[in-house]
Amino acid sequence: MPLYLLRRIAMTIPTLLLVSIAVFTLMRLIPGDPVLLMLGEGADPAQLELMRHQMGLDQPLVTQYFVWLRHALAGDLGVSTTNGLAVLPLIWERFHVSAVIVLTAVALASLIAVPAGLIAAWRKDRPTDLAIIGAATLLLSVPSFWLGLLLLMFFGQFLGWLPVVGYVPMSENFSQGVLYVILPIVTLVLVETGVLTRMSRASTIEILRLEYVTHARAKGVPESQVLRRHVLPNAFNPTLTMIGLILGHLLSGIAVLETVFTLPGLGRLMIDSIFARDYPVLQGCLLFTACIYVVINLIVDMCYPLFDPRVSVQ
Amino acid sequence: MNVPVPPPRHPTARSRRLLQATAWALGLAAGTAFAQTGGTGTGQTLRIQINSDIRSTDPGGNRDDNTDNVLLHVGEGLVALREDTSIGPMLASKVDTSADGLTYTFTLRDGVKFQNGATLVADDVVWSWQRYLRPASNWRCLPEFDGKGMTKVLSVEAPNPKTVVFKLERASALFLTMMARPDCGSAAILHRSSVGPDGQWKEPVGTGPYKFKEWKRGQYVELTRFDGYTSRAEPRDGLTGGKKAEVENLRFVVIPDSAAAKAALYSGGLDAFISPSPADVVEMRKRSDVVVDNTPVMTMIALLLQTNDPVLKDVRVRRALALALDTPEIASTVTEGLSVVNNSVVPSSSPYYDAVQATGFKRDLSAAKKLLAEAGYRGQPIRMIANKRYESLYSSAVLVQAMASEAGINIELEVLDWATQLDRYTKGQYQSMAFIYSARIDPSLNYEMVSGDKATQPRKAWDSPYAQARLTESMVSRDKARRQVLFDEMHKQMLQDVPMIVLFNASDATAMRKSVTGFKGWAPAKPRFWNVRLDASP
Repeated sequence: MPLYLLRRIAMTIPTLLLVSIAVFTLMRLIPGDPVLLMLGEGADPAQLELMRHQMGLDQPLVTQYFVWLRHALAGDLGVSTTNGLAVLPLIWERFHVSAVIVLTAVALASLIAVPAGLIAAWRKDRPTDLAIIGAATLLLSVPSFWLGLLLLMFFGQFLGWLPVVGYVPMSENFSQGVLYVILPIVTLVLVETGVLTRMSRASTIEILRLEYVTHARAKGVPESQVLRRHVLPNAFNPTLTMIGLILGHLLSGIAVLETVFTLPGLGRLMIDSIFARDYPVLQGCLLFTACIYVVINLIVDMCYPLFDPRVSVQ
Repeated sequence: MNVPVPPPRHPTARSRRLLQATAWALGLAAGTAFAQTGGTGTGQTLRIQINSDIRSTDPGGNRDDNTDNVLLHVGEGLVALREDTSIGPMLASKVDTSADGLTYTFTLRDGVKFQNGATLVADDVVWSWQRYLRPASNWRCLPEFDGKGMTKVLSVEAPNPKTVVFKLERASALFLTMMARPDCGSAAILHRSSVGPDGQWKEPVGTGPYKFKEWKRGQYVELTRFDGYTSRAEPRDGLTGGKKAEVENLRFVVIPDSAAAKAALYSGGLDAFISPSPADVVEMRKRSDVVVDNTPVMTMIALLLQTNDPVLKDVRVRRALALALDTPEIASTVTEGLSVVNNSVVPSSSPYYDAVQATGFKRDLSAAKKLLAEAGYRGQPIRMIANKRYESLYSSAVLVQAMASEAGINIELEVLDWATQLDRYTKGQYQSMAFIYSARIDPSLNYEMVSGDKATQPRKAWDSPYAQARLTESMVSRDKARRQVLFDEMHKQMLQDVPMIVLFNASDATAMRKSVTGFKGWAPAKPRFWNVRLDASP
């Protein structure tokens, strides 16, 4: 296992290197000058040049890349051209906000979706199945920003129950902090429950068709035991893969929800840095996102044997 | 971020208790988030939306509109804009100009305090200006004062603690105007404790009615009342005149999404929403709990026509396009009737906007078609760049495309993001584009931003020796009547040359809860929250 882990981690190095080259090159290919954005449409050319020089943007691209890579390997992702803050602490601070929401939402969505998918598959083509699959289809068809706005307007504006804008870290004030994240979490739970329910149902149906399930039933094993001991563990692996993908996707991609709910998360940081052409922040965010995907994939791979002993870490 | 939620208007007390009880059941000390702000003045926080975070706390340094809007409450310059955009004294009690226009002597007001308690003396002005004039300061307006632009400041001296003397290399009618520009941070006079011993920026210690309190990046910036503020005696007048911090704290809350900001305003989680869209303004005006201030501002929406382009270099094609457009209709439709047409570069709220400036293009499709035929135009596509960051630009471009097609002009829209469009603008790489110019406070500055030598400054739309000669004179002349003549001549010439079609000046709305009183918008689109009160019960 440790050797397998080391090998997996070593395999991520070329991936991350390729990501860094792609990120750096793509960023520079996007038209738009960060210095011009900073100084405005009437900026003096000499002043623009001076600032480009101060930011190292007048160096050849290859030089810029290697300087950035050298610093990145030392844990220094540079400073934001927008506000002069160190990139790594900035990303870490914003990631905390996204992580709290995403991890809670995905955990809750999994708790709802996996049993729901199991039940739907078990009751396939019956009213229960139709109700569950109908609700799931509806939920996954709803755009998250629209649902978020709807919840925000209903619970925040109309009922006045929850704060509409703002954010308080739970580490600062737990009770207030929770109130500020309820709506974004509920939005994500609703949307992701739809996706996971369908996935869980599909994989369960596959398992229910297999011979060992028929065999267990033929032996007279009670249905609840068949589901719990034979179906669920085997059906969970594809769902686990999906959970991993959703986690990775959401941890870097809930910018729209963060914008709607005014949350200072990683997604919003990325969007802001794209509009501001804040190269260091965007490069740092994308590299960080790549790392998240790698780590989550690793964790998912490590979890497979727990649910299916046939999966060997060899 | 503590954004208190107001008492619910619709739910019953029972439903609220139910939620609180649920929150308690979850282990939360619910109710703390529902804390209310106190009575008027002390303890009150006015929550104002800004659509993106500020860039820094250095006035006129690393800046944008939001940065300026926040920091103008903290710092003040020697002079400042009045309501009519003329220049009035601020930290100075008077300004004397030598006959040759090369020496400006500022006498400082008595008893002005910095926010750290120190008294303002002339040495502070010298220190601040020496810092601004260093290239490393990245002061936005440095080129105007270091000889590249308007003039060169040769020296800033303090012959005594009450007097500051500026010596200039060449005279300029705009010296004080440039000093007062809000995007230059009003050249705010700062205490030297604003920077650390290493010269690195810390935070602004100015003389304004509010002092810097806290910046939670990505969330909010909070200012708090400066109790030692020394107000001018006159009534409020633009960025000068009397200022009183009525509310204890100003919290500028970062809310990028306008729908969320609107919901926050309606629910009472926000007190003021800066620059809602025209459609939102129409909706908000129907509400009884919200008031909207709508003011014409100097921001200019225009179509730029590339005079070097193979198709558009023919002035007849450009004129035909101008004649094909119903510009009053565009202005009215795009802004939901909040703005009216202005085909002049001089803003309609400028003191220099006269009957000549009010003349413009009149739609005449047959004349347009005739010009096109004479020019040999046969429907070659004209690509027009627009973006959706500024919705008015996109809407204008769509209307222009439709109207132009009636005259046989084939416009193809290309929607880019703002950064890319700005890049194309700067390099002059466009056929035509719908563009937005930020407010300039003097017509010379307005003409300067659009006219110049394209060979050295490709961003300039109007490359005309005729205009350049008049512009140069307008920047030096201190005779208002002569300047008016120059601006009028330039306007008439621009209507002939058509390097651009000015459509309208934007209007700027600020929506507020009814509990907010005393707010007044003005032409430079800089919201001021001094002299603004927050009533306990709306």
